[in-house]
Amino acid sequence: MKFVIQRDQLIKSVQDVMKAISSRTVIPILTGMKIEAKQHGITLTGSDSDISIESHIPAEEDGKVNVEQIEEGTIVLQAKYFPDIIRKLPEKTVEIESDENLKITIRSGKAEFNLNGQDAEEYPQLPMLQTDESFEIPTDLLKSLIKQTVFAISTMETRPILTGVNIKLADNKLSFTATDSHRLASREIPVKEANIEFQSIVVPGKSLNELNKILDDTEETVEISVTSNQILFRTKHLNFLSRLLDGNYPETSRLIPEQSKTTLHVKTKELLSTIDRASLLAKEERNNVVRLATKDDSNVEITSNSPEVGTVAEDVTIQSMEGEELKISFSSKYMIDALKAIEYDDVKVDFTGAMRPFIIRPAEDDSILQLILPVRTY
Amino acid sequence: MKTWSELAEVQPLASKIITNSIKKDRISHAYLIQGERGTGKEAIALLLAKGIFCENKAGVEPCLKCNACRRITSGNHPDVHWIEPDGQSIKIEQIKNLQKEFSYSGLESNRKVYVIKGADTLTVNAANRILKFLEEPSKQTTAIMLTENSGSIIPTIRSRCQVIDLQPLNLVSFQNHLVENGMAKENAVLMSALTNNMDDAFAWNDNEWFASARKLVIQLVEMFTSNPDDVYLFVHNHWVPHFKERNEQEQGFDLLLLAFKDILYFHIENEASMTVLAPTDQLPEKAAMYFSQEKLVTILNAILMAKRKLKQNVHPTLVMEQLTLQIQG
Repeated sequence: MKFVIQRDQLIKSVQDVMKAISSRTVIPILTGMKIEAKQHGITLTGSDSDISIESHIPAEEDGKVNVEQIEEGTIVLQAKYFPDIIRKLPEKTVEIESDENLKITIRSGKAEFNLNGQDAEEYPQLPMLQTDESFEIPTDLLKSLIKQTVFAISTMETRPILTGVNIKLADNKLSFTATDSHRLASREIPVKEANIEFQSIVVPGKSLNELNKILDDTEETVEISVTSNQILFRTKHLNFLSRLLDGNYPETSRLIPEQSKTTLHVKTKELLSTIDRASLLAKEERNNVVRLATKDDSNVEITSNSPEVGTVAEDVTIQSMEGEELKISFSSKYMIDALKAIEYDDVKVDFTGAMRPFIIRPAEDDSILQLILPVRTY
Repeated sequence: MKTWSELAEVQPLASKIITNSIKKDRISHAYLIQGERGTGKEAIALLLAKGIFCENKAGVEPCLKCNACRRITSGNHPDVHWIEPDGQSIKIEQIKNLQKEFSYSGLESNRKVYVIKGADTLTVNAANRILKFLEEPSKQTTAIMLTENSGSIIPTIRSRCQVIDLQPLNLVSFQNHLVENGMAKENAVLMSALTNNMDDAFAWNDNEWFASARKLVIQLVEMFTSNPDDVYLFVHNHWVPHFKERNEQEQGFDLLLLAFKDILYFHIENEASMTVLAPTDQLPEKAAMYFSQEKLVTILNAILMAKRKLKQNVHPTLVMEQLTLQIQG
C-alpha cells in the first residue's frame, strides 16, 4: 500500500476517527486504526466495538487532488502515536507506505517514521449496509432529535435496555423515545421517501451523544440504514456505525395519558427560570422536589421547602388555565431538562391529578412530548 | 491440540461429549471445564468458539484457516470475549463490562461467546453477577468457564453449567511425547513431574535459570548432609538471590519437594520413580543414610506447608529460613 496525501485532510479525518478509538479495549486490534487505500480514495476506520467511525478521503474532490500515487492495500497501525505524528510532520503532504512485513513508513519532507503495523485481516468486519434500504433526514434535525430525547435515558445498568433511545420508523414517521422509568421524552417527525420500515430498534444513548458531537450543524442530509445488529449514519465523508441494544423496549405509548384534568398554558422561559430558582433550595438527595400549586386563572405558585435550609415561593404568570385546581410535586431536575429540550416559546402542561404523570408539549406542536412522573409528598 | 481429533488423543471422553453435541447442534449455553494445568482447557474453549464462528467447517472440525478462526486464535475476534483474572481474582469491574457487553448486539454476528479463565478466582460478588446470564442466557450466547480448582466454584454456578471433567494427563505418555520431540530421557522425567504443558516443559528445558535452579536444589540437599551449619549462609547467599519472583519461589519449592521425594524413593528402593536426583549418584545414598524415613515424611510435610504459606503471602525469605530450620531440626 502506498499513497501521498494532503496533511490537512488527513489530520481532519484522523481526528474524527480517533473519537471511536479507546485505549482501554479488550480486543487488541481495536487499539489500532485501519487505513484502506483504494483508487478512489483513502478510508480510515476506528472502533471501540460499540461504535465504529469510517472517514473517507476522496482522491479528488471539486477538482482538487487530495491523494496521489495510490497503490491499493490495507493496514492497521497503532492509533496511539499516529495522530501526533501526523500533526507534527513538517510538510504539507505526507507519504504513507506499507510493505508485506506490515512495516509502515511515514514520510514528510526530511522526516521519516517507521512503525509496526498489524494485519488488516484481523480487524473486525463492519457490515456492508445496502444503500437502497435507507432514509434521509437533515443533519440539524437529527441533532435536535437526539438533543430532545437522549437526556432522558437511564444511567442505571439494572435495566440496560433503558440506556438506549428507542427508534421507530413506520408510516413515514420517525420517532425517538427515551425513558428512565421516571420520565419520558419523545419526538416524532415525518420522513419522506423512506424505503424501509422498522419496529423499535434501540440505539445506545452513549453512541447518540457521540454522534451528536461528531456531526456538524448543517442542512446536508444524513442517510440512515439499519441491520439486525447495527445502525449506520452516513454523511458525505463519514460513516458512523453503532451497535444496537439487545432486548425488547417497554411499550411506552400506554403510559401517556389521553385526557387531562388540568391544562396550563405558560411561557417556557418564565416557567423554566422560576423552577430553576426554586430548585436552588431543593435537595439532591430528596429528588430536587419542587411543588406547583394553582392559585387562580393567571397565576401558579412554585414552592420549595427544605426544613434545614429554608423555603422559597414564587408566582408565575400563566396565560390560561383550564380544569380543576391542583397541587403537585415533582423533580425540578426533570422539569428543567424537559423544558430546555422544548425549543418553543409557549408550552402546554397537561395534568391528570397529583399522583398521575403529566405531560409537557409545545403549544402548537404535538410532535414533541415530555412526560414526568410526580413525586409523592406528605 | 488444534483439532478435535488431536484433542481426542488426550481427552477422549471430553472431546466425544462436545463433538457429539456439535454434531447434533445442541451446544449447551454454558460449560464448566475443569482439569489440571495443561489438560487442554483452553484448547477446548478455542475449539468450541471456532466451531461456532468458523465459516467453512468440515464436519465438527473448524477449518483453522478462515478469517474467524485466525482471529479467535489471536484474540481479535470481536464477538469472543476472554476474561482473565486481573491479579489474584476476577474483579466485579470485569464482570460489569461483560454485563454491558451482553446488553449490546453482536458486532459481526448475533452469536457471542465468552470464556472465563480461572473461574475459581471469581470474587463472590462477581460470581453472583454472572449467575444471571447463566440463568437467562440471551438467545445465542455460550459461556465457557475454565478452572483448575473445581472445588471453589460456587454451587449455584456449577448447577447451571454442563460440567466437563478433564482427566489428568498420563505421565508416561507425556514423557514419551517429550522424548519423541527431542528431550533427553532424564529431563523428560523431571519435566513431566513439574508440568503437564508441552510448551512449558520445553521452555524450561532450554532455560538457563531453570538449569541453575536445579543445580542449587541439589547443592542444598548436599549441604544438609555434609555441613548443615552452613546451610543458613547458603540460603542467603545463593537461594534467595536466585528465586526472586513468586512463581520462581514456588518452582524452587516444587524442585525441593521432588528432591526429598527422591531420597524417600531411594529408601524404599523405588529408584525408577526418581526425578531430580540421579539414582547412580552418590548423593541419594548419602542423603538416605542421613535422613530416616520418618524424618523425610516430616520434611515433605514441612515443604508442602511452606508452599501454602507462600500462597498466603508470608515473606518468602522467612518461609525459606523456617523451612531450613525444620529440615535441620
